[in-house]
Amino acid sequence: MRYYVRKIGFFLLTLWAVVTLNFLIPRLQPGDPATKLVQRLAGRDAALDPAQVKAIRAMLGAPDGSLWSQYVGYLGQLLHGDLGLSYTYYPYSVTAVIGQGIWWTLVLVTATQVLSFLVGVTLGAFAAWRRNSRFDTVVTLGSTFLGTLQPFWIALLLLYVLGYATGIFPTSGGYAGATPGWNWLFLKESFEHTVLPAVALLIVTPIGWVLGMRNTMVMNLGEDYIRLARAKGLPDRVVALRYAARNALLPSVTGFALALGGVLGGAILVETAFDYPGLGRLMGEAVQNKDYPLLQALLLLTTTGVLLANLVADLLYGVLDPRARRAQA
Amino acid sequence: MTRRRGLPRPGRALLSAVLATGLATGLAACGGWRDTSVSGTGVSGVGGNVIPVLTFPAEADNSVGGLANYNPLAAKPLVQTPFFYEPLIVRNNLSCTETPWLATKATWTGATTLTFDIRPGVRWSDGQPFTAQDVAFTFNLGKQYQAADKAGVWNDTFGAKASSVVAKGDQVVLTFSGPAVGKYEGIIKTPILPEHVYGKVGDPTKYIDKSPVGTGSFLVDSYNGRRLTLKRNPDYWQADKIKVAKIVLEGTYDAPSAALKLRAGQLDAYWGEIPNPQKTFVGADPRTNKFWYAPNGSTVLTTNTQKRPFSDERFREAISYAMDKDAMSLKATYGIMQPASQTGLKLPYQSSLLPSRDRAASAPLPYDVAKAGSLLDAAGYRKGSDGYRTEPDGSPLAVTFTVQAGFIDYQAMADVVAAGLNRIGVRTQVTATAPDSVDQAKKTGDFQMMFEFLYGGCDVARGLGAKLVSSQIPTKTDIFPNVQRWDDPATDAVVADLDKTAARSQQTTLAGRLVDTMLTQYPVTPLIYAPSRILYRTDKAQGWPSEQNPYANPSDDKLLILTHLTPAR
Repeated sequence: MRYYVRKIGFFLLTLWAVVTLNFLIPRLQPGDPATKLVQRLAGRDAALDPAQVKAIRAMLGAPDGSLWSQYVGYLGQLLHGDLGLSYTYYPYSVTAVIGQGIWWTLVLVTATQVLSFLVGVTLGAFAAWRRNSRFDTVVTLGSTFLGTLQPFWIALLLLYVLGYATGIFPTSGGYAGATPGWNWLFLKESFEHTVLPAVALLIVTPIGWVLGMRNTMVMNLGEDYIRLARAKGLPDRVVALRYAARNALLPSVTGFALALGGVLGGAILVETAFDYPGLGRLMGEAVQNKDYPLLQALLLLTTTGVLLANLVADLLYGVLDPRARRAQA
Repeated sequence: MTRRRGLPRPGRALLSAVLATGLATGLAACGGWRDTSVSGTGVSGVGGNVIPVLTFPAEADNSVGGLANYNPLAAKPLVQTPFFYEPLIVRNNLSCTETPWLATKATWTGATTLTFDIRPGVRWSDGQPFTAQDVAFTFNLGKQYQAADKAGVWNDTFGAKASSVVAKGDQVVLTFSGPAVGKYEGIIKTPILPEHVYGKVGDPTKYIDKSPVGTGSFLVDSYNGRRLTLKRNPDYWQADKIKVAKIVLEGTYDAPSAALKLRAGQLDAYWGEIPNPQKTFVGADPRTNKFWYAPNGSTVLTTNTQKRPFSDERFREAISYAMDKDAMSLKATYGIMQPASQTGLKLPYQSSLLPSRDRAASAPLPYDVAKAGSLLDAAGYRKGSDGYRTEPDGSPLAVTFTVQAGFIDYQAMADVVAAGLNRIGVRTQVTATAPDSVDQAKKTGDFQMMFEFLYGGCDVARGLGAKLVSSQIPTKTDIFPNVQRWDDPATDAVVADLDKTAARSQQTTLAGRLVDTMLTQYPVTPLIYAPSRILYRTDKAQGWPSEQNPYANPSDDKLLILTHLTPAR
């Protein structure tokens, strides 16, 4: 029982820290949301109309009172589940704004993360099993090379080659002429629009898994229990998968859970490059516009995601490794 | 399926994954995504003489497409061009010529009463008549809801606050509690709202307007969250001038993608920045591809005139001659934006504001290192043995130029500024810092030199005047135009007089005094003009604004442009 109380206490403490940092960080930076909005509408080289700034400030509700009273107000709002109105999309609520973007990111990022994990771990395991073979060399060297690239850069390359130059794939947005909903045209278009951003993420993201998995597994293959399993005459497939790969997988599972929670950050640049209507792009926009309510909500979502993912990882760990279960009991 | 052959392996894997997640339940992407462009040319009233469709970039980011709002008071309305809610008067801020729009005439009585004659016979798109009542209603909204007062009618930004706005027959009379000429531009631009719709919604800034009822030239045809299609309003009050049947607004583009789309004919015009348009756009097909970057204002060298050595007028004059404006033009704009006149006016377009005696002095200051050096010598900034100058009292002289990191053109110009200053012995270092920090420095005054924008609009009080008047020095919370902190009673008096007069001749006389200040005291040093841009194709439509036919400010006056477009022959 004490174990659970401690876990929950820790979770709440972290959550409070996150909420507080979310509140503080945007406000500690220079810049004023009202000015940003007017500047954005006017363009960089344009006269900033003080009358408009005044009006927009009145609209957003000029922050009144001290930082402390704002903070208390913010906490109170959160307790009521009220995330406020987005500055950028005023008068739409933050919830409505996030509701628009979340599906895109869920589909794009979840799919690519799961896929790159599976692909990466499999390749890594196979490379380790056949270590020093030509396959291993190609995979390891290739990964090392590809790993130095940025998804953003790959995105630009893909945009040019498969988008503009050849016209195979659309270059921006999540769909084109269709009306969003469960209709054939929309599904087809959104699929076509997802391919390039997904590929941009998929070229780089498996690399970490490949190398991590390969190295851990190579280490495991040198252990005595593997030698024993071989000596017992177990088939190669069983030794490789049930003995070596299963053990080597453990660190990757934790990493995977963390990665799933932190996907939003990684997707910002890629989503921006393709003008993909997901949360990553929204977050980039919120930062640019100093859209505090939207930014706070997105950060809250991400950090809560990471915290939850951690919990899930702990649980999964218990399933995969009996020792962990016993130690925690 | 052939076009998928080139896909890298992960792409194929992705296909199955996405299928599994249920995004595309059926099958894959065989057809092109490129939907056929909008068809439909059945326009009544203009015969066959129409442009079927023009494609422009979206006017709001379409990342969150479902959140449509046409309310012009919103922070981010779906369109910025007044396609639906029109202004009273369109003024070209290059030539300062006015085109009457919903008002046929504007008259100042003294500097405190502004009367608009409202155009008769105009109807809202739902058939209701548009009246002077609607105009009075729109301005009075700002009295009740401060957030709706974007023109600053009810506060003392640029002139005294209003005391009443009333409709009298076909006229609307705005009465101010003092001189308010500086508010004119904001007032004539205000989008006029229908009282029979906006009168019922409470706080108008909290109203989500999904089906606009406007007086404008276009109607919403369809919107799918990404592509907005507008169709010509057949009952528009000047429908005979609108030859464009449909407008498609789609996509937000950065420079490279916009250039590619323009070249491919998938965009008919673009108003954003494309560096070196001559090469990237016009070069592809000089017959149809054109651009015009008009001077929308000037990029000026802004020094902190309240700190040494910049508080010294002679020092400011000297360094103004060390500015190689041609090099800046070349490095920052590929030679497109011309060196700016020291008068602070956008020449030649605003030469009507220039008193005749100043015409000769209107040319940009020459780049003259020898003159700069001798002026500094004369002012007592002696050169030391290391080639660098000291203050007249012998203390060392070193200045820091603060520039927004990431503004590539600004950074290129800053290097030229620093090179020029170092050449005349003023030790100068460039520091690039985050744009937000530069904004912060503008508020606190904690800077020595930076770049700044000088708008120089048609209301001299609000353009050049606001740049020089001491009441417009930035505060801790707000950036106002007088970033250089020019604090001079004589200038303040001229701007106060400008606020009090709406008579053109008197305005020109007073403007001349501000120009004198610019030419003799160098509160700021204009470097090169900052652009208002348009890039366009002439294969579907002609009549776009150009240097030869500058009837509109290319990026501001889209309403004017739409009434000038005719089908290409």
